[in-house]
Amino acid sequence: MDSATSFPAPKPRLLPTRSQTMSVTPGPASLRRGSLLRTLQEEQAKLKMRLQELQELKRGLRDSPQDKVPFPVPEVPLVFRGHIKEDMEGPKSLVSNLRISYPLSGGSALIIFDDPKVAKQVLQQKEHQIQMEECRLRVQVQPVELPMVTAIQVSSQMSSQTVLVSGFPAKLKLSEEELLDKVELFFGKTKNGGGDVETRELLHAGVMLGFAKEEVAQNLCQIGQFTVPLGGRQFPLKVSPYMSGEIQKAEIKFQPVPQAVLVLNIPDVLDGPELQDVLQVHFQKPTRGGGEVEALTAVPPGEQRLAVFTT
Amino acid sequence: MAVGCEEIDEDMKEYLKDEEFMKAEQKQKLIDKILEENIYLTMEIQKLETELQEPTGSSQIKEDIPETKMKFTSLENPEGDSRFSNISCSFQVSSRVPYELQKGEALITFEDEEVAQNVIRMEKHHVNIMDIGVEVMAKPVPLNSGVRFQVFVEVSKMKVNVTEIPGELPENQMRDKLELSFSKSRNGGGEVECVEYDKQAGSAVITFVETGVADRILKKKDYPLYINQDCHRVVVSPYIETHLKKFQVFSGISKRTVLLTGLEDLYMMDEELVGDSVNIHFQRPKNGGGEVDMFKCCLSETCVAYFQE
Repeated sequence: MDSATSFPAPKPRLLPTRSQTMSVTPGPASLRRGSLLRTLQEEQAKLKMRLQELQELKRGLRDSPQDKVPFPVPEVPLVFRGHIKEDMEGPKSLVSNLRISYPLSGGSALIIFDDPKVAKQVLQQKEHQIQMEECRLRVQVQPVELPMVTAIQVSSQMSSQTVLVSGFPAKLKLSEEELLDKVELFFGKTKNGGGDVETRELLHAGVMLGFAKEEVAQNLCQIGQFTVPLGGRQFPLKVSPYMSGEIQKAEIKFQPVPQAVLVLNIPDVLDGPELQDVLQVHFQKPTRGGGEVEALTAVPPGEQRLAVFTT
Repeated sequence: MAVGCEEIDEDMKEYLKDEEFMKAEQKQKLIDKILEENIYLTMEIQKLETELQEPTGSSQIKEDIPETKMKFTSLENPEGDSRFSNISCSFQVSSRVPYELQKGEALITFEDEEVAQNVIRMEKHHVNIMDIGVEVMAKPVPLNSGVRFQVFVEVSKMKVNVTEIPGELPENQMRDKLELSFSKSRNGGGEVECVEYDKQAGSAVITFVETGVADRILKKKDYPLYINQDCHRVVVSPYIETHLKKFQVFSGISKRTVLLTGLEDLYMMDEELVGDSVNIHFQRPKNGGGEVDMFKCCLSETCVAYFQE
């Protein structure tokens, strides 16, 4: 018998009347269930209302971009280039200007082979003996491993001690340092409503100023508009709250550059150009597993260089 | 107990108990169902709240960066020592701002900003799609805010991170032991500049005088630490610092892309054909249009379009 859906048929006599069933006092468990049910139903009603509120807010925001954030933010022109959700299996953000600078110490050399397979083959042997007329140079090789950020988590929140100064005219004849100095000077003065400036940064469309005291930042935001002298002339600038960001987590993996080989511990016996030639000849010989070299730089002992890698 | 209960006979009691049981079961099921629904509603609310980025709270940006191939570009010879003590990595991150394209809407990106602004100024456009005259409205695209920032990563060539250091010795003594062990060149170590030791965390940062030592030590995942007669293997890892710079929230404004609406009634037609007709219409200068870079129309279902710098 399925206990959930059926119940025993009542015997012919003494069929329970409404009043009689209602006169049976419910047990404590039933009472608990009843009030729990009511509480849950009330909660659901509240949740449904909140959801509706948010959905309406979302609809409202869609149609009036000006009220999107409660404080003014600089505008950045964006364009639709055809990326839509289906074909975006990748990140939601654009990563650009990726640049890695890798220090090369004295007595080392960086070789970029045309063919990554050649590099792989050269790397199979940890030590190489470079044959010269009178002697042999013993060197070590290793791959070039670059630190790549594979995942990043950034949290942002309203900062109570920093403000954004914006409204700078497009063509100001001031260098970054000069501009930052003038802005800091102005907003550092209590007579202007400012105070002690702790940090400053030039952003895409404004200057971020961090104050020692929260009240100073809040006061400046309330005043909002200022006339600031910059390079001889007065300009109307706006001060608004600033949303700051912080890296919560960054995942870094070391990735080898497929065509690159680092040559280490090169004995100091040859001059720069000569050494370069000797290395090139050796590593281009197919008999030694070498191949066509795209670029080769040797760093003289006692000196240092930076190898720059980009996408 | 109410009056008359004593008259209820055994069968009745049985029946009432069963009915009560059934009601209880039904109630329990209802409770479970409502609990589940409430969980779902709470999740939806959270999703919308994050989406709407309620200003009082904070928001998170989570990004998986795909593998990128790096290639050697140039060699630099800068002044000063500081840039040689780290492998430095920097990049810029800029949000792609989403716009939910509704059914009957289209996005058109013009090559020329002037053309786009003109199309918007004209507002109403009469477009002929397969011999049907359609009133298409041109509007600016309402866009949300996005963020952009720069990330700097420095991997030290002079320092190593050490973890899983046993806590059996007092702080000063352990610091000395660390310096001694990491100085032993036979184990790959070298002259130590300084040791920062956190006894509670069982970790330390060892700074070496010369570059190259850190690399050597990091070839292996652990390193021998000598404490009296015993040898503990402590874990070594690269010392990495990350910085965020030039963080900025911005408001997206579309100057070259225009939002077209009014295509809702055409949902039965072939999306491509409709798209082509509209696209061609707006390429003609006599219609106020011009060179079109990108076009996307949405007839059958909503889709999310991404705007970027």
